[in-house]
Amino acid sequence: MRDLLSYLFKRFIWMILTLLAVYTVSFVLMRAVPGNPFSGERNVPPAIERQLKARYNLDAPPIQQYFDYLGGIVTDFDLGWCMGLEDYSVNQVLAEGFPVSATLAIFALVFAIILGVTAGVISAVYRRSPADVALMAAAVLGIAIPNFVLASLAILLFVFTIQIFPAGGWGTLQQIALPAFCLGLPVAAYIARLSRAGMLETLSKDHVRTAFAKGLPKRTVILRHVLPGAMLPVVSYLGPAVARVLTGSLVLEKIFALPGLGSHFINAATQRDYTLAMGMVLTYTVLLFVMNTLVDISYAIIDPRVKLQ
Amino acid sequence: MPESLSQPDAAPSRHGEPLLQVNDLQVSFKTDDSRVRAVRGVSFDIYPGETVGLVGESGSGKSVTNLALMGLVPSPPGRVDGGSVMYDGKDLLKLSPLQMQSIRGRRIAMIFQDPMTALNPLMTVGQQLTEMTRLHLGLSRRQANEKAAEMLELVGISGASRRLRDYPHQFSGGMRQRVMIAMALSCEPDLLIADEPTTALDVTIQAQILDLLRELQERRGTSIILITHDLGVVAETCHRVLVMYAGKVVEKSDAGPLFASPQHPYTQGLLQSLPRFDQVQTTLRAIPGQPPDLGNLPEGCSFRSRCPLAIDRCAREEPPLASVGDRREAACWVAEENANG
Repeated sequence: MRDLLSYLFKRFIWMILTLLAVYTVSFVLMRAVPGNPFSGERNVPPAIERQLKARYNLDAPPIQQYFDYLGGIVTDFDLGWCMGLEDYSVNQVLAEGFPVSATLAIFALVFAIILGVTAGVISAVYRRSPADVALMAAAVLGIAIPNFVLASLAILLFVFTIQIFPAGGWGTLQQIALPAFCLGLPVAAYIARLSRAGMLETLSKDHVRTAFAKGLPKRTVILRHVLPGAMLPVVSYLGPAVARVLTGSLVLEKIFALPGLGSHFINAATQRDYTLAMGMVLTYTVLLFVMNTLVDISYAIIDPRVKLQ
Repeated sequence: MPESLSQPDAAPSRHGEPLLQVNDLQVSFKTDDSRVRAVRGVSFDIYPGETVGLVGESGSGKSVTNLALMGLVPSPPGRVDGGSVMYDGKDLLKLSPLQMQSIRGRRIAMIFQDPMTALNPLMTVGQQLTEMTRLHLGLSRRQANEKAAEMLELVGISGASRRLRDYPHQFSGGMRQRVMIAMALSCEPDLLIADEPTTALDVTIQAQILDLLRELQERRGTSIILITHDLGVVAETCHRVLVMYAGKVVEKSDAGPLFASPQHPYTQGLLQSLPRFDQVQTTLRAIPGQPPDLGNLPEGCSFRSRCPLAIDRCAREEPPLASVGDRREAACWVAEENANG
């Protein structure tokens, strides 16, 4: 318990430092890109542009802007007003979009884990069988097909040909199913391959032979003695998987017209919406950090030899 | 043999029925281009309460023989091609997987060479000890825990009930092998197969483990097959010895006579290559040459090319195991000739 608390404390300090670095790099990068939030096809009259810049504190020297904005974030968690969306604060946008993206990500991940692990275990246990060959071929396809292609195919098939899912929108389970499927499938494919490799490696371990020598039924040996060890690489992958699902959802939310953070992320980047982009980047950083910490903790729970450092 | 080594007590009387009869056991492994015959017609009996040493170098088929007894030959690529293993009136090789499960661990138990890897690192020692007794003996969780603690005490692990909650990595190598032994004996099997149980341990721990095995055998009358390539271990613990070479038993004998007058030239070579403490030696003696390729065995005796005694007949016919004295057999034309005048 003490180990866990000191570990969490250390991770927290690291997260703060990482956030500071991410903030700095993003700040510099965004301002290094040509253009600004108000440059468009039509030139804004200089007087109005001056007023706009003054409203968003863009007329101050960059160093000043850097510290002013950082100060707001640190003291009030205030990410400022959106520069692209009228009358929306970044906090509001996040509060509305985040639950949608998070729900989608959770559905996709749970689906990916269940499908991927099942396929991997079956493949490994019935190694070289037709089932193994078929599943692994499917996994290679799943990894290779980009999710926007998958989404288009899925819409063609499940929305137009067999009309069982709506084409888009948000709120019902039916509306979540298709995007979660498209988002989760490539991850499931990767997890299937990881689980298969993990299972095969663990199956060849001496202690599994011991378990068989004890007279345990095959099912017990697989579930109790092989599966936990085989899941370690899958658990390690869950951190990157979250990142993958989050970035994947940027595209899918657009295709399925979901009110998540994805479209905001894209718009923020294309419109040089400095504040919104910063809000996104920082949110995702925190999310990844939390996920990686959870992964480390579950790793230590599964494998007692691992000490949290 | 080195006289200083302690001898096991005289062999238990071998009247009565053997516990286990292995007859003409054949096991092969498929490789990319051929089928390697790892065990080529091995036969032996195990009597209640005796310790039989199975000696041979790596690849001689000693471990595979015992995996076959347990029905644990990895398949594919391995396959039991023939023979029988009679136990309790049944041929173990013909039992269904389900029937075999009730033999494994319950009637025939096994301990392995490397205690560092033979225990599941992700489960507590208690979990690993209790799952067997709960399965085979139908004990409740509580009874199984009591039994597990009792077994740990028996193999000399102190504070047993507390240590049940520990993981294998919290035990030393010797302690883990004790845990393995406790686990193997917890269902009171008739036969314990110990596959090089001391090879991975240092010498003092080795002696402790062998003493433990011997003591437990005296107390419980368990038969033991001890697989090893260490002749010192054999001299210390075994009543009888089977020497294996290239997938066959080449010599069968009581332990005392084997060390006093080995009959098969391979056994002689093995004994000569032991370092002796009663003589000044500058170099270790070794048997010249390499063991044969089991996928491509030469005609005649497989030891011929390394044998100092080889005669013409050895190149043509493979010698069968034949009697070369009182309760002694060797698979060698020369030894047979000498024995029978």
